[in-house]
Amino acid sequence: MSARKKTWVRCAFSEMNMTASPVPLEATPAKRTRSSGNVSTRISRSQSGKSTPTQIQEVESVDLTALEDDQDADSTGPPPEVKANWMERFAPATSEELAVHPKKIGELRDWLRHCEAVQKKFPAQMCLLTGPTGAGKTATLRVLANEFGFQVQEWINPVDCEVVNALGDQPSGCSYVGSHLEAFKSFLLRASRYKSLLDSHNKRLLLVEDFPNVLLSDKEANFEELLDEYSNYGKSPLVFIVADAKSRGLNISYRLFPDQLKAKHRIEHISFNCIASTIMQKAMKAFCSVMQQPQNKSTYKIPSSSVVDSIVVGAQGDIRNALINLHLSSLKGVASMPTKQLNVSVVTKGRKKKTQSTLKSIGRDESITLMHALGRVLNPKFNEDKRVLHSPEEITEAFNTEPRNFVNFIHANYLPHFKNIEDVVAAINDLGLSDAMLDEYRDNSLPTMGLNIAIRGVMLANSSPVSGWMPVRGPKRINIQSQATLAEQRLVGVGYSGISKSLYATEYSSFVKCIAGKLSDSHSSQSTDSI
Amino acid sequence: MALWVDKYRPRELSKLDFHKEQAENLRSLCKQSDFPHLMFYGPSGAGKKTRIMCLLREMYGAGVERLRSETMTFTTPSNRKIEVMTVSSNYHLEVNPSDAGMYDRTVVIDLIKQVAQTHQIEISGQREFKVIVISEGDELTKDAQHALRRTMEKYVATCRIIISVNSTSRIIPAIRSRCLGIRVAAPNETEIVSILQSTCKREGLALPVELAKRVVDKSERNLRRALLMLEAAKVAKAPFTANQEIPDLDWQVFLRETASQIISEQTPNKLEKIRERLYELLTQGVPPNLIFRGLVEQLVNKCDMSIKAKTLEFATEYEHRMQTGAKHIFHLEAFVAQFMNIYKKFLSELIMTDDF
Repeated sequence: MSARKKTWVRCAFSEMNMTASPVPLEATPAKRTRSSGNVSTRISRSQSGKSTPTQIQEVESVDLTALEDDQDADSTGPPPEVKANWMERFAPATSEELAVHPKKIGELRDWLRHCEAVQKKFPAQMCLLTGPTGAGKTATLRVLANEFGFQVQEWINPVDCEVVNALGDQPSGCSYVGSHLEAFKSFLLRASRYKSLLDSHNKRLLLVEDFPNVLLSDKEANFEELLDEYSNYGKSPLVFIVADAKSRGLNISYRLFPDQLKAKHRIEHISFNCIASTIMQKAMKAFCSVMQQPQNKSTYKIPSSSVVDSIVVGAQGDIRNALINLHLSSLKGVASMPTKQLNVSVVTKGRKKKTQSTLKSIGRDESITLMHALGRVLNPKFNEDKRVLHSPEEITEAFNTEPRNFVNFIHANYLPHFKNIEDVVAAINDLGLSDAMLDEYRDNSLPTMGLNIAIRGVMLANSSPVSGWMPVRGPKRINIQSQATLAEQRLVGVGYSGISKSLYATEYSSFVKCIAGKLSDSHSSQSTDSI
Repeated sequence: MALWVDKYRPRELSKLDFHKEQAENLRSLCKQSDFPHLMFYGPSGAGKKTRIMCLLREMYGAGVERLRSETMTFTTPSNRKIEVMTVSSNYHLEVNPSDAGMYDRTVVIDLIKQVAQTHQIEISGQREFKVIVISEGDELTKDAQHALRRTMEKYVATCRIIISVNSTSRIIPAIRSRCLGIRVAAPNETEIVSILQSTCKREGLALPVELAKRVVDKSERNLRRALLMLEAAKVAKAPFTANQEIPDLDWQVFLRETASQIISEQTPNKLEKIRERLYELLTQGVPPNLIFRGLVEQLVNKCDMSIKAKTLEFATEYEHRMQTGAKHIFHLEAFVAQFMNIYKKFLSELIMTDDF
């Protein structure tokens, strides 16, 4: 049981590497860093201790796949069963196999070359790789590091740290925070300095893909200090990999790496793009040829080209996702395996969806931006038989999580697109209906329906749209401001605080303004009289 | 110098000008040692707050009139700070949770907890509970009302709640059943006239009856509005004359202009301008249902007989939707658009029939 569990865990972490073994071993010390030197030996001992003789076979197969070539492991394992680390078979081994644009590979290669050149003088070079998920950031780094002979040491957020600390009698809150950060710090400084006992590589490269949560919680100063320290004491190049996030609040590259910080430490920023569909097609072909290799043949059948196409479209430049889909759709179902049903259903689903539309075939959620979707709603395109090109359902699905926001945006922007008041009536009628539905919390499906109604209403109501450029406006927020001046407040007296803003606006405001205005007039006239 | 509204506000139950029988009932309610949660309901400017304050004075003595205003800060679960202004004395606390908008739930819970968890120190001769006065309780969100229901029961030993609402229809049944409802009807016209006149007498002014009647007409039987109106009129022209000008509420003037703009042009472009005006009213703090009502009144007055019925029909539909929905502007705009549509059709038909 424990061995099985371990295989699963192991694979999840070493998902993209090809010479995997040292990396997990290196990654684990990082988890428990106290003193990195002897921990790694301890860990390896504990692992061997854990595996009981009866389970040796299994454990071996796991470690072997990692240590030796994949092919051996595959030939020994029972062929129809899908190895949990199947992804490694498809991982690129050389930079030619990478599905990333050569220019980006070149950039990273230049940086690594530069690192080697200045290693004696300035060993602590830093680099930031950003890009959408599945753009091949990690894969590129691993391949190139391999090429240059760097040993990649990755930081993985420790899971067990807080447990240890919570047992102590000091207040757990602060000690937890401190220890997490400290573990990260000592990883950065020690792992760059001392090499593992087990590996023969001389050059190390630190990789941080998993940022400690402490750094993300509005304490950027901490991170800056860390980098300062690292640039002084670090001994190896350091690479940060950050996936792009849509919202700024979640965007690590935006929050942790402000421009001045990048300038200060000369952090090389390489931003990857989505993988172009032509390159993706090529990669798919490569994957298919891997599948046709003799040791894989028993596991995979070759998927039809239409399925491959729809996968490429659906993945939207995410190669990891494309690979997962390809894997699922090309698995040969085995009678005894319960996964068969699932795999088959995924395939048919993929096909079905593809026939419906090329926009959303399988896999990744289609993510269209708000502006994009607004454009589709406000300027709907129609095909020859008078049907909308982008179905309202698609747009609804994309904004299911924040229907209210989207409806507000539609409302703020729909009016300039209309020429006839009759059409406006139809549109606003539906918007109003959807507003009423969105506010109903008793049924889960109502928000979706409401959003759908709003989108349909506006898309279909407009019989003669106005063409031309209309700037998009954000929905207005109503902030009720009390406009009472100090003199007016004094006039109303202590009771003013007890009067709500709306009541004041409706009942008091205009009269009190009158009275207060007259009062101040009389005061000033009195004062002039006295002079 | 205080406003007339506050200056001549009756301080004791015995001095109230109207609903005297009810005042007597309230007084006997105070005599009992136990005292239920109360809900005063009635239209705006009918004297709910006045009665509440009189009742508190009856219970606690003149100490309740030593008021201080205080700004309390609450932190929502999402770490947002909200400031709410309160008026309090040693014995009671008055709050308007509706100013906190959608965060009123936090305000209600925290406030009641704060007040209710401290016992009165000197109970000699006094009640052992404090009173929390929640004004405009019907503006509370459903969420807050449910929260209130629970806290009301939990802290019943140390605090009583008096809710003042315009209409009980927007209060959830659970709260309605926990409170003793007291209806405060708006005073009738003769009552208002006599109050206006007695006020003027105490100010040393002579008030012509015609003017008083006009003020009453304009104030829609809202006593507070009538008094404020009269004072503003006095400021404008000191010795009253029978046909002097009475100042209007400026949002009503604004609405009137909006209505005439709607009549003048019926295009999406105009609708957009109307929307801006409606937004302006909303940001000033005029409640959407008042805007809706004012708009309907103005439009119905201005349009032809044949489309009045239809206008009202749509008005009822959209007003109802506005109460169920959250974005008031949608429904206001929908009504305006619908009216524009009807009116435009009416105009084009008129031209057609003229041609024949």
